[in-house]
Amino acid sequence: MLPASLDEAVEALAAHPAAVPVAGATDLMEAVNAGRLRPASLVGLGRITELRGWRYEDGGTAVLGAGLTHARMDRPDFAALIPALADAARTAGPPQVRNVGTLGGNIATAAPAGDTLPVLAALEASVTLARAGATREVPVSHLLTGLDPLRPGELLTWVRVPLLHAPQVFLKATGRSGPARATASVALVLDPARRAVRCAVGAVAPVPLRPLEAEAWVAGCIDWDGSREIDPAATAAFGEYVAAACVPDGYGAEGAWEAVTEGPSAAAVRLRRTVAVLARRALGRALK
Amino acid sequence: MTSPTDIGAAPQQDGDAGGTTEPFGLGSSPLRSDALPKALGIYPYAADLWAEGLLWGAVLRSPHPHARILGIDTSAALALPGVHAVVTATDLPAGPDGSPDGAPSGPIVADRPVLAAGVVRHHGEPVAAVAADHPDTARLAVGLIVVEYEPLEAVTDPEQAFTAPPLHPDGNLFRHLPLRTGDPDAAGEIIVEGLYQVGRQDPAPLGAEAGLAVPRPDGGVELHLSSTDPHGDRDRTATCLGLEPDRVRLVVTGVPGATSDREDLSFQVTLALLALRTGRPVKMTLTREESFHTHTSRHPALLRYRHHADADGTLVKVEAQILLDGGAYADVSAEALAAATAFSVGPYNCPNVFVDAWAVRTNNPPAGRMRGEGALQACFAYESQLDQLAARIGVDPVEVRRRNVMATGDPLPTGQAVTCPAPVAALLDAVAAEPLPALPVDDPDAEWLLPGGPGGAGDPAAVRRGIGYALGMVHMLGAEGEDEVATATVRVSGDHATVICAAVDAGQGFATLARQIVQSVLGVSEVYIAPADSDQAVAGPAARGRHTWVSGGAVERAALMVRHQLLQPIAADFGMSVELLQIAEGKITSYDGVLGMPVAEALEGKELWATAQCRPHPTEPLDEAGQGDAFVSIAFCAMRAVVDVDIELGAVRVVEVTVAQEVGRALNPRQIEDRIEAGVAQGVGLALLEDLRTEGGVLANPSLTGYRLPTALDTPEIRVAALLEERDVVAPFGAKAVSAVPAVTAPAAVAAAVRAATGLPVGRLPIRPEDAVTG
Repeated sequence: MLPASLDEAVEALAAHPAAVPVAGATDLMEAVNAGRLRPASLVGLGRITELRGWRYEDGGTAVLGAGLTHARMDRPDFAALIPALADAARTAGPPQVRNVGTLGGNIATAAPAGDTLPVLAALEASVTLARAGATREVPVSHLLTGLDPLRPGELLTWVRVPLLHAPQVFLKATGRSGPARATASVALVLDPARRAVRCAVGAVAPVPLRPLEAEAWVAGCIDWDGSREIDPAATAAFGEYVAAACVPDGYGAEGAWEAVTEGPSAAAVRLRRTVAVLARRALGRALK
Repeated sequence: MTSPTDIGAAPQQDGDAGGTTEPFGLGSSPLRSDALPKALGIYPYAADLWAEGLLWGAVLRSPHPHARILGIDTSAALALPGVHAVVTATDLPAGPDGSPDGAPSGPIVADRPVLAAGVVRHHGEPVAAVAADHPDTARLAVGLIVVEYEPLEAVTDPEQAFTAPPLHPDGNLFRHLPLRTGDPDAAGEIIVEGLYQVGRQDPAPLGAEAGLAVPRPDGGVELHLSSTDPHGDRDRTATCLGLEPDRVRLVVTGVPGATSDREDLSFQVTLALLALRTGRPVKMTLTREESFHTHTSRHPALLRYRHHADADGTLVKVEAQILLDGGAYADVSAEALAAATAFSVGPYNCPNVFVDAWAVRTNNPPAGRMRGEGALQACFAYESQLDQLAARIGVDPVEVRRRNVMATGDPLPTGQAVTCPAPVAALLDAVAAEPLPALPVDDPDAEWLLPGGPGGAGDPAAVRRGIGYALGMVHMLGAEGEDEVATATVRVSGDHATVICAAVDAGQGFATLARQIVQSVLGVSEVYIAPADSDQAVAGPAARGRHTWVSGGAVERAALMVRHQLLQPIAADFGMSVELLQIAEGKITSYDGVLGMPVAEALEGKELWATAQCRPHPTEPLDEAGQGDAFVSIAFCAMRAVVDVDIELGAVRVVEVTVAQEVGRALNPRQIEDRIEAGVAQGVGLALLEDLRTEGGVLANPSLTGYRLPTALDTPEIRVAALLEERDVVAPFGAKAVSAVPAVTAPAAVAAAVRAATGLPVGRLPIRPEDAVTG
């Protein structure tokens, strides 16, 4: 099925609840080729041009089409709008993948190392889920954690992102120069209007994690009215704070989130070091 | 007959041709013959093969690294519509020793069953196979085969293999090779020790295994696949199928490039068996995951070293223990072990050497041939030791190497004198003299140059630069008494020549080289290379740099014989000796310029054929003290790696690798540089990225997402500082093989550079980010 408009796509999904919507197919076809997925039918979203762009709402929100490709998000006009999302899109994979892989696909796949996910979590973005005759608005984090999952026949159509007009950073550690899956990633955005710092750590857990206490603490250390300076020691402490909050002592072992008595595992120590460095550098860049 | 040194005359001519003709003859750099078709996407690979009425094959593989097979029920698979045959070990003809489950096979030791019978010894070992009329049906049928396993304890630690119960009737020890030379009581003032570990590198050929088997009316079978050893594969297939070798024909099709043996036996024998069973052509294309399961990888190694040296760094004694994990089956482990042992000290002189080396069987995936097998693992260890020694005595790493390097005529620890050119000091000087790359600048536009790549998390303040040196060596051709021989036929008719030789161009560029050889000898520009198949005379496997030497030598001799046949009647007519005539640009001319006859005219419509063999001088096996003239010739290489390390994240970027290599004679300079770049890229991959991990014997990352191959961004700038040409008198053309030694040396050079940048010991390959984080 190749609907030409959003309404047609939603109708098609309503008529065939088992059909799988497909946009860039970079994740879907990999699963099909590996034999993990045999969709009964597909709803191709490639012809729905309205989902491939974005619009503004209320002056303070960008509504991004789920069909935005990573390559499009990397362009300067978009990067000026939501810099962290552009950074994440730029590192998401080789050009072949970025040219077809979409924002909506990254959210729907919800891979732990999905590069746009920590950015959307830090931005506190929400998504619009459309079904025949109705739409609903769900925070990205609720969707990812399964608190409010995608229902049968629903299509992810728009992603609403607040425009903050302030520095944003996305950093990821991969251990190589070429495109690769993140071992850890950090998205950090400043929200000067609310005098807040929001941060999310990706790839260390099934969903992006928000170190809320560390965010609140570091927001208090920043001189918001002046040049937004911060004591370097506070930046370093923020890194450690974020790492300790997001990587449990038993990381890498079974039941990692349960209490561990014998101190952090070697894997946890390594990952914390990486997350701490990323968070410190992200804050440093954002306040530079 | 003209001596080999005389035939270099031709290439000079292409300079005055006004640049309009293609480069021509030895010493020039014509484009590889498969380069354009591969770049344009029109090159036919084995996966593109098609035959009328073909069936599709699929293989069932063991999910366990070690298990007893209690029973196999194929009835559900056979009942599936569209399934034509399901085969297991019991369908194979009885082996020569009467074993009911078919003959085991293997390149040196026959210990590997085609399909597992009774017991599976590694994850992914083939157990059964299906032929069906659609690939999906075949895979579905594979899923319907019910195998009852009793999982057994898997031996995955090679150190446990010695004491574990035997995993195979042949035992767990493939080979123990002791090497003893000199005075065991010798001791030096300085002692450095180290424990080194090398991971499992996979050849990960981009073209996964694929092939087509066609049954023949005479009861035989024709196999179309991208084998790199058509005759060896044919013979082993025939043995396993209980056929005469003549009844099996192996046609080499579309080799997508190989840095190891292509096509494992279970793949092609199973394919042939399905074709014979169904009486129809059968095609099989492996998935990426199966490809990781089916071909052999590099031997993971554990090396323990102790170097004794004088206060000035001169080596006194080297003691080493080397353990290679050969995996479930022997393959070429014994040969890899010989290389690791013989080159355990590297291209350095040391009077007292005591090594114990073992290759053992485990339940890990089988290891086999892969660019510099054995030599690479040893190179990482001995070069790491020399870095340690340099640090201990406070001397520059280059200087400590300079004080110990061997020269032509010096002995190996095996007692063999290195009679081939060994200008190791000159190579080292060549890389050390090259200017260093510019330092990274604190400039946002240069951000992509930071470790971690473009858009990465790199921070200039945390980047440290390191420079490392390494010297590597690897033998060429089969070692330890293996009979090395190749046969080639050259035909001339009209204005073109044809080479018929079963040497497979697996990416090393043999086809291009053979064309250049014939161009040089016969002066004809159009040379066709016939496709290789097993009905031609034996040329042996494409490995260990053999084909440049052995098959190239055979082509040269055959071409010289044709040349003689062509020129002799003319020489007789003019009353001069053949040596006074030369052929260039398709014309026969005499030394005095009186004669000028086109080759086509001299042929008078005849076809001239000649077949010749090349068989290098014999070698001998290493004895119980590791002594013996085991190698025909040795290639050497010096390398300098420059790396930037983000010492907080452990990200490493190799900035530049500078290479100086001894090539004997550069037959095709551009192709040599290509091969060096390929070798360095593979070596950098092993040093930083490539590791086929196993968890309890089960492959953890059999995909190109999980198994990280170097991309263009991970591959450094590769500069060739010098190609030293000192002709090896025993080699045809005086040329040495070039592909393996850069791959052997690069990991050691990168490790040395990371060591210099971080001050950490770096005793493990690949270097993980956590191994390069300081503090």
